[in-house]
Amino acid sequence: MQILKPTNLKAIKKAIKIGPKKVLELIKPLTGRGGAGFPTAKKWEFAIKTKEKVRYVICNSDEGEPGTFKDKFIIENNPETLIEGILIAAFTIKAQKAFIYLRGEYEYLKSNLENAIHKINPPIEIEIVVGAGAYVCGDETAIIKSIEGFRGHPYYKPPFPPVEGLFGKPTVINNVETLTNVAQAVLFHDWNSNLRLYSLSGNVTKPGVYELPVGTSLKTLIELGKPKNKVKAVYFGCFGGCMPYKNIELTPKNVCGKNCAIGSFTIIVVDEKQSIPKLAENIAEFYERESCGKCTPCREGTKRILDILRKINNGKGKKDDVETLEDLSKHIHETALCGLGKTATNHVLNACLFFKKEFK
Amino acid sequence: MKITLDNKNIEVEEGKTILDICKEKGIEIPTLCVMEGLKPEARCRLCLVEMNGKLETSCSTYPKEGSKIITSSKRIDKHRMINAELLMADHIKAYKKDKKSSDLYKLIEKVGLKRIRFDTIHKYKEDLSESVIRDDNKCINCGKCIRACGEIMAVHAIDFIKRGHLEKVSPYFEHDLHDVACIKCGQCVHACPVGAIYEREHLYEVTKAIKDPKKHVVVQTAPSVRVALGEEFGIDKGTIVTGKMVAALKKLGFDKVFDTDLGADLTIMEEGTEFLKRVSAGGPFPMITTCCPAWIKYMEHFRHDLFPNMSTCKSPHEMLGNLTKSYYSKDKKNTIVVSIMPCTAKKFESTRPELKSDVDYVLTTRELAKLIRSKKIDFKNLKAKDFDHPLGISTGAGVIFGATGGVMEAALRTAYELGTGKTLKKIDFTEIRGTDGIKEGSVKIGSKKIKFAVAHGGANIKKLLENKDKYHFIEMMACPGGCIGGGGQPWPTNKETIKKRMAAIYKADRDLPLRKSHENPAVQKLYKDFLGEPGSEKAHKLLHTYYHERDCF
Repeated sequence: MQILKPTNLKAIKKAIKIGPKKVLELIKPLTGRGGAGFPTAKKWEFAIKTKEKVRYVICNSDEGEPGTFKDKFIIENNPETLIEGILIAAFTIKAQKAFIYLRGEYEYLKSNLENAIHKINPPIEIEIVVGAGAYVCGDETAIIKSIEGFRGHPYYKPPFPPVEGLFGKPTVINNVETLTNVAQAVLFHDWNSNLRLYSLSGNVTKPGVYELPVGTSLKTLIELGKPKNKVKAVYFGCFGGCMPYKNIELTPKNVCGKNCAIGSFTIIVVDEKQSIPKLAENIAEFYERESCGKCTPCREGTKRILDILRKINNGKGKKDDVETLEDLSKHIHETALCGLGKTATNHVLNACLFFKKEFK
Repeated sequence: MKITLDNKNIEVEEGKTILDICKEKGIEIPTLCVMEGLKPEARCRLCLVEMNGKLETSCSTYPKEGSKIITSSKRIDKHRMINAELLMADHIKAYKKDKKSSDLYKLIEKVGLKRIRFDTIHKYKEDLSESVIRDDNKCINCGKCIRACGEIMAVHAIDFIKRGHLEKVSPYFEHDLHDVACIKCGQCVHACPVGAIYEREHLYEVTKAIKDPKKHVVVQTAPSVRVALGEEFGIDKGTIVTGKMVAALKKLGFDKVFDTDLGADLTIMEEGTEFLKRVSAGGPFPMITTCCPAWIKYMEHFRHDLFPNMSTCKSPHEMLGNLTKSYYSKDKKNTIVVSIMPCTAKKFESTRPELKSDVDYVLTTRELAKLIRSKKIDFKNLKAKDFDHPLGISTGAGVIFGATGGVMEAALRTAYELGTGKTLKKIDFTEIRGTDGIKEGSVKIGSKKIKFAVAHGGANIKKLLENKDKYHFIEMMACPGGCIGGGGQPWPTNKETIKKRMAAIYKADRDLPLRKSHENPAVQKLYKDFLGEPGSEKAHKLLHTYYHERDCF
């Protein structure tokens, strides 16, 4: 696997030798691996262009998406390359301090990171901040609030973090996979920007992290996981929504446009023994619990969606319940404040669209 | 910068939100969570508009060159309506009659909400305190009270707890409000758009006392009540209604109506004397005023180190309460003293054990208005009446206590003349008037140059205390604007109303024949007949107090 190739401190040495400009050129093909797919070099340039002298780098390790575990995989197996990536980012944007925002549930991985930092002995401070287990803290702005010591609530952008972020200073926030790729992109000539880490789980006998190129067909991937029964549907994480099983090529473009989003290449396989409304209830429970409570549509809406789904699953559904569900889901999608809220109901929308029969 | 607003090309300044622009253009947009002068939080999401085809919250969105904005369409209406529906489903329907709730209802009507598809969720718990009560059932999580408490008052007694729909406002560690470092200022009451926070009412007790023929019920009114009470009855903001107010109180059945301004004059006599003593003794400086009970509680919680700096004077209404039951009335048992105050913290103050308070009940301006309304008194057309003797004569110095900077100004008028024996030529200290957060100035008393400063609003108090040592005399008022912006004043209390009330206060000062506390004949008589001289042993026993250290937990 490319992602596991160690860089052994050579990447940072090379970066210092060739200078920030060349580094930015080398990582030009790299896009963010957290889900939004924003070009990494562009993000860094925003921070470089500011006049502020104090800047920060944050490594977003708050991997809370159900069914996603690729960042954990990297921290477990190749933390040193990750640290090197952080250092290259800090060097390129001239940051004085870096933070690693580690998901609360991953606290046991803290020692991995600490050992790696200790081994590399970096010239700038890298502070590990452990979250308290809130899904919303995967949002950039919520991470900033959390590190600042406030409630992990997202806030309204702009100003975007690369311009005005942590403690009001320019801050670059990148995902674990992105930063690991940074180190490898700088060092290896044969680095392939097209490879992604797929987190495969659900009704398969061999779940795990698979490294495959963008555009791999869904069939190939699922066959790697060896499912027992006939596959009915796939979920792209929870926020990505779901779709009936069809052999498509997994590219963001192919998946988008149907209310789905491939995001961080998370595939949850659902076979025909599963009930979609029950799954929807399960996921709705997750969103209801993890909504931060800041804005009305997400705070109240997720609760109401869960209520309705529970009613339907208990056989007490009313005629217009599905309509209300769709209404609310669209509403939350359009009016919520942060990315979490906006995507919290994709799964309901798609389930209603593709599996309407099961809701009756 | 050019933008298109509802298909009209208009020119706007940069750095303004869509909501601001719409307000200027007279376009009404519903909103519940915007706070004057603070960054938008965009929580309620009722102020949705369309910008370039995307739904955005107008309170937090800044248009760019060429932005196309639509403020009304089917799509916008629908989403505003669902948000309103979600909020209302949480807000129990039984509160329809509540005045402030009905403002929410009006807004909901404007949005066009007709049916609510969801069940009401009953949250429990009203938390209890001597002065401010919160009711979670009415709360819609807009977060304004939290911002008032934290960002304006720098107290941080309440914040959100829990997540998702379980999120709610709570004092820290889910204590009750009376167990935490809440200074009872009542600014959260003003911030709340739905009436989920309100004062503890004492109307029942007061009406019972009035009805009891054995009880002699005396009422006193604070200087800032007379410039705000009219608002409750549709009279223009900033109208002085002293005479009508006294008439209404007499009609309500109070036996005597006294003026807290006289207490203010007394405070000035005591405080001024104390200050002059400090000047001749060389300290400790700065001396800080103690008229504001919310500030006292703030100090007791957060700044124990200021004890030697604090004046020892009680607040004006407590002084007058003491005098009512010692100087005026011989029958202490059957005399009831009621204070009409602009303040929720005074309710707490009257329960302080060390004060041995003679004030039995404190009513806020709003409560008084409620009482007047409930007795169906036609307030607007009442004939003006005068305060009763012997505690009803007041000076302009007493009146300006109601606005920020007023106590300082009144104290300086008296301290200068008592300290130098000369007449003060320019008695208007305009440098400490107005709505600026921190104001300062200096005056020469004898050979000594006295530097003084004034702060109002908790955050400004905190800021001023950082370099307090520069000054000799400091006035602190917890509420923005001073008492005229107090937590018990009529809704809405915002910058505009505060300015109007302030103008009225200074007008009342100008209109009075006596404008210095020591010239008040009632005060002079009091000292001659009863108290001796300012700062005497008797005065100390009756009119001064001491402070406690308070924990935040």
